[in-house]
Amino acid sequence: MIDDERSRDMCPICKTDRYLSPNMNFLINPECYHNICESCVDRIFSLGPAPCPYPKCGKILRKNKFKKQVFDDLKIEKEVDLRRRISAIYNKTEDDFDDLKEYNLYLEHVETLVFNLINGVDVEATEQEIKKYEQDHKIDILEINMRESQKTSDLEKYQEAMERMKQEKLKIQHQMELEDLEYQKQQKQSLLDRLSSSNIDSDEIIAQNNSRVNKRLSMRKQQLQQITSQLEQQFENTNPLAQHAKALAAEMPKTPFTPFQGDRDLTSYYTLDNQYNEPHLAKLAKDKEYLGAGWRPEAVYERALDQAFMGLGCLVQREKA
Amino acid sequence: MSSSVATALSAPVPQRYLKEKKVGEGTYAVVYLGKQVDTRRRIAIKEIKTGLFKDGLDMSALREVKYLQELKHPNVIELIDVFLSSNNLNLVLEFLPADLEVLIKDTSIVFKSADIKSWLLMTLRGIHHCHRNFILHRDLKPNNLLIAPDGQLKIADFGLARSLGNANEDLSANVVTRWYRAPELLFGAKHYTAAIDIWSIGIIFAELMLRTPYLPGKDDLDQLDVTFRALGTPTEQIWPNVSSLPVYNALKVYAPPSKQELRQRFSAATEKALDLMISMTQLDPSRRCDLVKALLHEYFIELPLPTPPEELPKKTEKKDKEESESKRRKI
Repeated sequence: MIDDERSRDMCPICKTDRYLSPNMNFLINPECYHNICESCVDRIFSLGPAPCPYPKCGKILRKNKFKKQVFDDLKIEKEVDLRRRISAIYNKTEDDFDDLKEYNLYLEHVETLVFNLINGVDVEATEQEIKKYEQDHKIDILEINMRESQKTSDLEKYQEAMERMKQEKLKIQHQMELEDLEYQKQQKQSLLDRLSSSNIDSDEIIAQNNSRVNKRLSMRKQQLQQITSQLEQQFENTNPLAQHAKALAAEMPKTPFTPFQGDRDLTSYYTLDNQYNEPHLAKLAKDKEYLGAGWRPEAVYERALDQAFMGLGCLVQREKA
Repeated sequence: MSSSVATALSAPVPQRYLKEKKVGEGTYAVVYLGKQVDTRRRIAIKEIKTGLFKDGLDMSALREVKYLQELKHPNVIELIDVFLSSNNLNLVLEFLPADLEVLIKDTSIVFKSADIKSWLLMTLRGIHHCHRNFILHRDLKPNNLLIAPDGQLKIADFGLARSLGNANEDLSANVVTRWYRAPELLFGAKHYTAAIDIWSIGIIFAELMLRTPYLPGKDDLDQLDVTFRALGTPTEQIWPNVSSLPVYNALKVYAPPSKQELRQRFSAATEKALDLMISMTQLDPSRRCDLVKALLHEYFIELPLPTPPEELPKKTEKKDKEESESKRRKI
């Protein structure tokens, strides 16, 4: 175990140890997947292709094919590389097939090829087949490639724009919060100043101040709303997926959405007054327990009037017919 | 007892309904599946047990009959008939095979955002119909939102419903299943409004998105704690006169959640969905939106459009749905 770990941290060519040179990196070449440290790769392969320095390997390697190992397990690393290679050749999608069965057969076949290559079953024959397929379908492969890259680039652009908008919104919000804080501080100070210097009733000054603060708060909220809606508008205009959205909208049913399914009578037979002479309700309207529970006298008036006019305009004979 | 009822049922009048199978039993009622004899329509019969109350019939049965016979709406369960047999009250209701709770718990079903929108829309429409007739449901929960075979959602169980009475009449604060109970009820309010039903719908909306109960309090006190931990402790500032409610207490003060926190909590929700949910779960009942506002909310206009009821996921079709799913899965 210890041996294993040590061997993994040491380049077998130059015997450099990670313990002594902590910034060393290992590279592998998908030809043979042997671990070689970066400085050895530089030293051995910078003059052109050379055989792998591992004893009994001797495969000819090129420097530009060297890459960092992503997976700890070399088996997985190999399989991922292989799958990447195969999927670049066998790149058909479900849209290219008439029915699901054919697509599944195709996938099954590709999977068999991958299995063969990984497990060393008929490697030569399989490689041959892949080569042949690649040659036969050269144009198809290119076409599909173009199509797919168009799709993903749209998506990428969209995500990027989305992220940008989010950042922008946050920035503006943050800035406004800072400004508000500053404003509050100022207000507090000026309030204290006025309270100490002026001879008007202190309650009045506080009330004045409160109303001003509230006004500003609502104004700020509006401002923020405006800015965010502006940003959203901008985003919609530059949205690369807007075309897709438009296409989607065209597919939408032509009948508009009806929240109430047409089951709402908008004719109003009365207008609610601000004040009614109803001493009993007026008393309750001052009861904090009623108000706290959400009760409002207006609801009672509205209900009474609703019920007074209920059923008017409903013609039973016609509805029956 | 049930067999004697069945015979008594067939004896006096020509038999109009068939009881086929007992499917459930509660404290107050036994539920049977059956058929309407002349139309072959499938129905459910709720037989109310008598004798539990000295002074006649159970309140909830009376309430159910009283309100259901008035309400007729595609999203409210239909009371087809009421009959008496050997002193037992029988309610004939339309047959509804599933409820929303079953669907939420069934992990093999995937909810699309359009599905959630559709269910919420149907719930709001049904309750809108109740509220415009001045009837409070007072027990909204996924378990009481039943699903018809054609996918329509129907509001059921009007055992706690009541019509808004006189202003000086006290209402009982001990209504609504605990997890869906509005904060004014938790504070013992006796003069609450239709807003308590909106709160329940808001919590159900959240539950549909989370696929787990949003505010699961262990007991009434814990419910307060859970609610305020999630939505902030109400103060006089955000909810005027809250401290005048009978059992108001602010044991622990939690800060209200920021929009960002809510966004994280409901990561799949769009801004408009979140906005609707926030306005339905306002702590102050007078700030909570009403049903007309909820139904007119932009959430229902933005894409994706609500799924047509007949295409919603269903419990009964689960088996062949799973099969087709596995067929579709790519190798």
